[in-house]
Amino acid sequence: MRLTSFLQSDNFSGWAFILPYLIAFVPLLLWPFIQGFWMSLHEWNLLAVTFNPAAKEFIGLGNYVRLMGGDDIGWSLQPMWSFRLVVSALVVALYVRSVRRRALGYSHHLMAGLTLFTTVILLGLTGDWYDSRFWIVVRNTLVFVAWVVPVTTTIALLLAIALNREGRWAATLRSVFFFSQILSVTVVTLIWQLVYGVRNGFIANVLAPFGIDSPNWLTDDQLAMGAIVAATVWWSVGFALILFLAGLQQIPGERLEAATLDGAEGWRKIVQIIVPSIIRTVQFVMIMQIVLHFQVFGQSQLMTQGGPGDATNVWVRYIYQTAFRDSEVGYASAMATVLFAFMMIFSLIQFWVTKRQES
Amino acid sequence: MNQRALPRWVFIVVTAAAVLWMIPVVWMLSLSLQPNELLSRTTANTFLGLVPVPFTLDNFRAILSIGDTPRWFMNSMIVAGTSTFLVLATSTLAGYAFARIRFTGRSIVYPLILAGLMVPEQVVFIPLYVMFADWDAHNSLPTLALPRVALPIGVFLMTQFFKDIPDSLEEAARLEGCGHARIFWSIMLPLATPMMMTLAIITFLYSWNDYLWPLVSAQRTDFFTITVGLAKIQGNFAQSQGLGQLMASGVLASLPVIILFLMFQKHILRGIALSTDK
Repeated sequence: MRLTSFLQSDNFSGWAFILPYLIAFVPLLLWPFIQGFWMSLHEWNLLAVTFNPAAKEFIGLGNYVRLMGGDDIGWSLQPMWSFRLVVSALVVALYVRSVRRRALGYSHHLMAGLTLFTTVILLGLTGDWYDSRFWIVVRNTLVFVAWVVPVTTTIALLLAIALNREGRWAATLRSVFFFSQILSVTVVTLIWQLVYGVRNGFIANVLAPFGIDSPNWLTDDQLAMGAIVAATVWWSVGFALILFLAGLQQIPGERLEAATLDGAEGWRKIVQIIVPSIIRTVQFVMIMQIVLHFQVFGQSQLMTQGGPGDATNVWVRYIYQTAFRDSEVGYASAMATVLFAFMMIFSLIQFWVTKRQES
Repeated sequence: MNQRALPRWVFIVVTAAAVLWMIPVVWMLSLSLQPNELLSRTTANTFLGLVPVPFTLDNFRAILSIGDTPRWFMNSMIVAGTSTFLVLATSTLAGYAFARIRFTGRSIVYPLILAGLMVPEQVVFIPLYVMFADWDAHNSLPTLALPRVALPIGVFLMTQFFKDIPDSLEEAARLEGCGHARIFWSIMLPLATPMMMTLAIITFLYSWNDYLWPLVSAQRTDFFTITVGLAKIQGNFAQSQGLGQLMASGVLASLPVIILFLMFQKHILRGIALSTDK
């Protein structure tokens, strides 16, 4: 009797219903996550440990020191001074202006602080880094994100405004722009490698009649990153477009009509009415993309193999190489943990943004 | 929706952009339908190569009769199909429990699972690799399919869905003495079918397109998915010998997702909108 009532209790049913999922979640996500952190505290060579499970050595934060530390660390104004000056001036100006208008929330303070910290302090650090390659791939990843996100957002937002209407034309074009999103990274890189081909690429074919030789897009260290960025924008505009279209649907029609009656047209209407109305969606989509594109791997791995030199090598690809070419899974796990911490900051910002949206 | 007409120049610019947007895909399709001998000379035969004249199906015949492509295609089908089925089964059950059963521990377990949304594949793939290597389980289709089942997005979507179902539907059944299993099976599941459809389609899509996990897990060509296989044959890209076949492989690799896109575009769009709506 007691057994039957236990079997009918909410406690039993609840756990019985979630058990199948937990059987996957605990060993295949929760445990690897903890294990990854544990591994990052070890000198752990994949091959050595395979032959002798005792061949790992606990070294505490040693991998993190090796990853981010250096000798003779100092700080100077000089590295990239013009870039740092322009960006920090912009941030301060925007910040001061918005503080005056009282238009700021936690996430803004945090973002302004983070940007200033990065440009003023972090970019000014000098030293003999233990792993200088790590800083190269971090910079490349940041450059990649700094190009892809604003470009994708701008294109997607403008397209969303133009295509947020009924009728066959808009519906067809929405599908066209969304379509590339569903292709796998290997198909995208296959297509774009061919588009960029020097001898028989599409761009080369277009330029040929004018007697212009196509530059070597993917092996020129000035162009390679741009080429990857363009392919990525092509691939990912659809995603942002969908979210913007959903955001635009929320704007009350009266607000747009009122603006139109007031004579707001074209750019003025976009900048003064539409963008402020969906500014939360814009923030949300941008943060989402930042987190997503920090994980870039396939484009770099397949289109340029990180080259020329390390010009397009990115964070995840460096993790992959360290773990699976050099077998240093402990050190690679430390990189992955730092990457996670980095993305975590943006996830938290996103969380705050959504929270404020709801309140 | 905006009812006002667009200025003509916007109409022209956006249409032109759409045409430009389609060129890479149209070109791939067109090259896959042209003879290899021609492509080794030029990829711009008819109208910049965008029109497949002369036309041939030899490339598709070739990749379907020799080489690994059919096998990779089947592997992808099995892997994506299995993970989709398992995601649906586990996340509808768990979603129902989190949304509609009050049980001890729910307020701890559910946030823990939601926190899992923030953990990307790139952060756990090394420990996962080491774990499956310890079990000697690499180069097998279940190993390729299983890690996806652990991703919390399905549980999150189904929980949100079941939360929105009004209590009144359940109460009548409850008064008649139905247990959770009965309510889940005969009341909730039928209601959830459209949502499950959406979840199934986006899971299949992401699983089919997954690159990192099959890349590290499948070392033997027999166990490649089509996504990884295609990456492998891109390697010897320089010689345009077989360019047509390469493109045909690309088309074949995209075929299932294109079919899904054409048939279920609404579901895909809804899935994306919902899965980002935290």
